[in-house]
Amino acid sequence: MLSAVTGLGSIESTVAKNLPVVSIHQLGLCLSRASASVLNLNCSLILLPMCRILLAYLRGSQKVPSRRTRRLLDKSRTFHITCGVTICIFSGVHVAAHLVNALNFSVNYSEDFVELNAARYRNEDPRKLLFTTVPGLTGVCMVVVLFLMITASTYAIRVSNYDIFWYTHNLFFVFYMLLMLHVSGGLLKYQTNLDTHPPGCINLNRTSSQNISLPEYFSEHFHEPFPEEFSKPEEFTQNTFVKICMEEPRFQANFPQTWLWISGPLCLYCAERLYRYIRSNKPVTIISVISHPSDVMEIRMVKENFKARPGQYIILHCPSVSALENHPFTLTMCPTETKATFGVHLKIVGDWTERFRDILLPPSSQDSEILPFIQSRNYPKLYIDGPFGSPFEESLNYEVSLCVAGGIGVTPFASILNTLLDDWKPYKLRRLYFIWVCRDIQSFHWFADLLCMLHNKFWQENRPDYVNIRLYLSQTDGIQKIIGEKYHALNSRLFIGRPRWKLLFDEIAKYNRGKTVGVFCCGPNSLSKTLHKLSNQNNSYGTRFEYNKESFS
Amino acid sequence: MGQIEWAMWANEQALASGLILITGGIVATAGRFTQWYFGAYSIVAGVFVCLLEYPRGKRKKGSTMERWGQKYMTSVVKLFGPLTRNYYVRAVLHLLLSVPAGFLLATILGTACLAIASGIYLLAAVRGEQWTPIEPKPRERPQIGGTIKQPPTNPPPRPPAEARKKPSEEEAAAAGGPPGGPQANPIPVTDEVV
Repeated sequence: MLSAVTGLGSIESTVAKNLPVVSIHQLGLCLSRASASVLNLNCSLILLPMCRILLAYLRGSQKVPSRRTRRLLDKSRTFHITCGVTICIFSGVHVAAHLVNALNFSVNYSEDFVELNAARYRNEDPRKLLFTTVPGLTGVCMVVVLFLMITASTYAIRVSNYDIFWYTHNLFFVFYMLLMLHVSGGLLKYQTNLDTHPPGCINLNRTSSQNISLPEYFSEHFHEPFPEEFSKPEEFTQNTFVKICMEEPRFQANFPQTWLWISGPLCLYCAERLYRYIRSNKPVTIISVISHPSDVMEIRMVKENFKARPGQYIILHCPSVSALENHPFTLTMCPTETKATFGVHLKIVGDWTERFRDILLPPSSQDSEILPFIQSRNYPKLYIDGPFGSPFEESLNYEVSLCVAGGIGVTPFASILNTLLDDWKPYKLRRLYFIWVCRDIQSFHWFADLLCMLHNKFWQENRPDYVNIRLYLSQTDGIQKIIGEKYHALNSRLFIGRPRWKLLFDEIAKYNRGKTVGVFCCGPNSLSKTLHKLSNQNNSYGTRFEYNKESFS
Repeated sequence: MGQIEWAMWANEQALASGLILITGGIVATAGRFTQWYFGAYSIVAGVFVCLLEYPRGKRKKGSTMERWGQKYMTSVVKLFGPLTRNYYVRAVLHLLLSVPAGFLLATILGTACLAIASGIYLLAAVRGEQWTPIEPKPRERPQIGGTIKQPPTNPPPRPPAEARKKPSEEEAAAAGGPPGGPQANPIPVTDEVV
């Protein structure tokens, strides 16, 4: 929404500047100038949400105290997409306007002002104009690059073939280089000697047929080719004040404004990429690899100077598995002051994770499993990039939080629980409702130990109502009803069937009257939509539910 | 990288190029530029390409998102059989369609985009991909009473199913219920249920 407003604002200002007199000739130029301004703004803004280290820093720093500002950071991907769509639309307008201009430049070639024309002679084929001038050629290449990037960025492609999206999206760098060249062509010129040759002045040497006919002029930065109609002498005498030209007009190319707009964010983005590259060049040391039921693998590792807050995610890059691909995984255990180990849980779903698992845990020994492999193996080199922020970090900053996890979506909350296990007092959180819905009862084993330890710890500290755990088994074959014999606390909190959200929300509202409850969901989209809708409904207890949304692909 | 399905991307590109061709064609015919009949051709070609490419093909692995209302066009496109299934045909078709639009400035963009889409289709065809229509899954009607097999022949109390099974299945059945064969009734029982 912000970008729409800024886009419209800039288009209005530029169009208003450019449009006191609109004739067919001028409409093309005005539209292309206006859309170029909007494009400038959007091309510079679109890079900013992708500076993820900067955003993670802003999210965690004390300089951003308000929760509302941090929630804006959650929307960074949506902002990026909105800017992209705006660029697409206004590029279309820009291209159409320039095609019309190209035709006009060639048809209405003006002999009076030779320097102003883009065409080199009358009726030059506009296609030649397009392909042999620097702005034309770079413009065509940019449109082709944009076409490739946009067709590969649709939701269907991102969901099915993420690789196509990723590799084509890296063409943005080519796009920006072409953009810099595009505006350096010097097509738009301004007049340098306005005082000696003001617009509308009469050249006494010329014949009357070539005189200017338009009565009003705008003090604009460009001149357009003059129309060829005759002027009526009566109109001229009606003018207030007509000056006489002292000398011929001189023109000079405008300084390309686009360079100013995009150099800032582009440098920022390049600096961030460089920083990330340098920081991730040192491989991590894998301490242990643990295989969990239901196709999940846990990796524990250490790295020097690695600090992360609970809820953040990292990107793993393993050259032995794939030289080019990297994949994000949420941290399930963050390094603390006492323990430098951190870990991730990965679910084996695609070819990258399958190959990764085969390298770390050779297939012969994959069957026996919850024991860690203590033998020292030659683990492949693993590089991590990050950590990057996510909305789940905010759950520790609410007084009451409701965290709903679906299946493997429990990973961000696992790091929160690990942090609470370590020390819960420094945070604002005083009550956590933790709801975990799984299809398979074996999945609860991933964090059963953690949950039991947390439950015991709070029981010992006489705060048994700090964490309210509810586990739901959404599909059951009726045979296995308990998680394990030693997990008493969890077995008594296990429900069969899907949770009834409305009742849960009412219950939480009743027990936390007048408070603001942060709702966090990591799971399938349908779950997320249900919770979002319920969070926005009013309830009779005066409790406010604030839904914090994470956006995945 | 080995698992990329190029056909899906080519499909998106071809659909976008069709729209670009239509837009360029409208600009060309409305402005009555010279050679505006190329613009009219471009509109027709654009509409044809859009209709052909609207139904998305099925992915090899996993589920495919359908476009809204695509099932009507799917049935039409399916009719042409191998002509629409094969991506070589589509690549050549798009290449031929894109050439005439290249003569006019307004539609030259559509030419470039459609040519690129044709190239990606060629790549997909070389890798052996094919267009398969997305069929709606047949709704399984629950048969009323379909799971009710023969009504029990014995009156209650009845031993559990394992004891009532035939002797050949007794090894497979768990050892539950009293051993021995099915209950033998002293008086033959017939059921009078209609």
